[in-house]
Amino acid sequence: MLHKLLATVKKEVLLLLRDKVGLSILFIMPMVLIFVMTLVQDSAFKTMNEKGIPVVFIDNDKDSLGIQIERGLKANDLCYLSDSIDGKPASVETAQKAVQEGKFLVGIVIPKGATEAIRKNVTELVNQTLNGEDSAIHKSAGKTDSVEITILIDPVAKKSFLISMTSNLREFISEVKTKIMFQTFSEQVAEIIPDKQNAPTNSYQKSQIIKYKELYASKSEDKIVPNAVQHNVPAWTIFAMFFIAIPLSSSILKEKNEGSVFRLHTMPTPYLLLVNGKIIVYVIVCLIQFVLMLSVGQIFLPMLGLPALVLGNSIAGIMLLTGATAFAATGYGVMVGTLASTEHQAAIMGSLSILLLSALGGIWVPSYVMPEVMRNISAWSPLNWSLEGFYKLFLRGGHVSDVLGETIKLLLFFLATMTVTSIANRKKRAV
Amino acid sequence: MSNTPIIEIEQLTKTFRHATEPAVKGISFAINRNEIFGLLGPNGAGKTTTISILCGLFPPTSGKVMINGQDFQTHSTEIRQMIGIVPQDIALYPTLNARENLEFYGSMYGLYGRELRNSINDWLNKLGLTDAAKRKLSTYSGGMKRRVNLIAGVLHKPSILFLDEPTVGVDVHSRNVIIQHLKEINAQGTTIIYTSHHMEEAETFCTRVSIIDQGKILTQGTPAELINNHPGAPNLETVFLNLTKRKLRD
Repeated sequence: MLHKLLATVKKEVLLLLRDKVGLSILFIMPMVLIFVMTLVQDSAFKTMNEKGIPVVFIDNDKDSLGIQIERGLKANDLCYLSDSIDGKPASVETAQKAVQEGKFLVGIVIPKGATEAIRKNVTELVNQTLNGEDSAIHKSAGKTDSVEITILIDPVAKKSFLISMTSNLREFISEVKTKIMFQTFSEQVAEIIPDKQNAPTNSYQKSQIIKYKELYASKSEDKIVPNAVQHNVPAWTIFAMFFIAIPLSSSILKEKNEGSVFRLHTMPTPYLLLVNGKIIVYVIVCLIQFVLMLSVGQIFLPMLGLPALVLGNSIAGIMLLTGATAFAATGYGVMVGTLASTEHQAAIMGSLSILLLSALGGIWVPSYVMPEVMRNISAWSPLNWSLEGFYKLFLRGGHVSDVLGETIKLLLFFLATMTVTSIANRKKRAV
Repeated sequence: MSNTPIIEIEQLTKTFRHATEPAVKGISFAINRNEIFGLLGPNGAGKTTTISILCGLFPPTSGKVMINGQDFQTHSTEIRQMIGIVPQDIALYPTLNARENLEFYGSMYGLYGRELRNSINDWLNKLGLTDAAKRKLSTYSGGMKRRVNLIAGVLHKPSILFLDEPTVGVDVHSRNVIIQHLKEINAQGTTIIYTSHHMEEAETFCTRVSIIDQGKILTQGTPAELINNHPGAPNLETVFLNLTKRKLRD
């Protein structure tokens, strides 16, 4: 039986090596895909994180609020601040036009006298409080001069970015208000209490009581930073592995159409052995694809100035998950080849179903941004199981035990495809 | 030629799924060891269906098939090991060369190593394909492909060889070479079951023929017996045309 299996494997290898189109689908297409998708997403990532979103800033206030907001936004990675348009100082009208034309994603206009209005309101509030007037805050709330900061928005700007931007502005305004309030309060207290020693110092204003620290929840001791490479390389590698369904199903149907299956069915060799020969070869192809894709992520992408792929801590986990993904992908290809009646049918069925499974599986768009219904469906895609497993290994520093669930699901999927193949094959032969 | 049957068929019927009429309607016959048995009939007569059942490609709807005293239900592997098939279509891989094709099919019959290599070399030499053995099959002429198709069915020296129109679309030279070697195989003890539209070829090649039409056997015997039983028929082709009513068939 071993000789027969080896002969089948040899035949499959020869058929594959002589199928130039199939080879390009298996190896060149996914490598190109990884290059293109990573570069495209990385440049988008850079726009967001390195240079920042272009924002035009008009400070008509020229006082604390305007200065504080400008300083704060300039220090923020989120945006790239400019106070001029085409070399000329920006005005409300030119800023509106520039945002309309897409030159800037957002425009921020701080009105004249904004700081003065805040100062006036705060002083009144402090005076009332120190003079012992009840419910000063409630009374003053109705009388305050409101400060209106205008935000001009390009309709293409993402909601999440706008939320982040307005939240930053609120923080800066609140900070300025607190400072003014503290300063006014200190001045008033200093007048009442001549002993300067006991007067409140200005140190509170400079102190930062609450600090933020960004920490990625990873088991890995290495600082793995999520980036386009860490996301795209595993995603598109899984996509490429499942894409073998097309050449694999085509090879099954070619055998049918060329009459080889007729002869093979009359031979003293179980059909399962012939299928196993295909599975062995295509699983090896998947593993080669995986190694190639990883080498793209680790060697070639850094040559283009992109970050290198970090593999995490568990080589055993990677091997286990890759093996299970390879079996799941190969089983799927065998099933498509058995269910389809013509090569054309297999090509359409194979490519469309993989596009669908990959879209559902979070290859194109992360599943966490999907609506709940789609997220629930996504959990049924084998590509999603594999991707989640690789995220655990590559981003969260997971080990073998962390990806056992995904591995078992992928192997069960392989068994399910083999069962469907066996039933469909028996049905087709029962003419 | 031995008179012990190697193939016995009783009341064989096959109705395909969704078909209104059976393709084979309760046929019975026996084929003796070492015979060259011709199964002749117009298109759609039921020849290929009968051969497919005898090869174990699919089971009959009803009836009994015994190959060398065994049936497919209990001795599938043993029966498959003793039969060889040369299908009507070229059942080979066009992107592999002749040697690679034969190595694969020979291996599926359990041949390997020197035995497999010797058998391939021997047959390639006999059928004049040694020089072309390393060329992809897609570059072969129709006759060359037919010869490789034949070798793939005989490499393992089968006891029973099924030939489904082995010379269709082949030039006279290739046909002669094929027929000559089939006679050699038969002389070495292989029983041959053969279907063809070439009545002249069947008349000279077969030791016994059965004319089949619309799933039923019309007549059976040696070519000479059939010609003698039909007065005025100078050859097997006339007997065939008389029995099958000279109508065009699809």
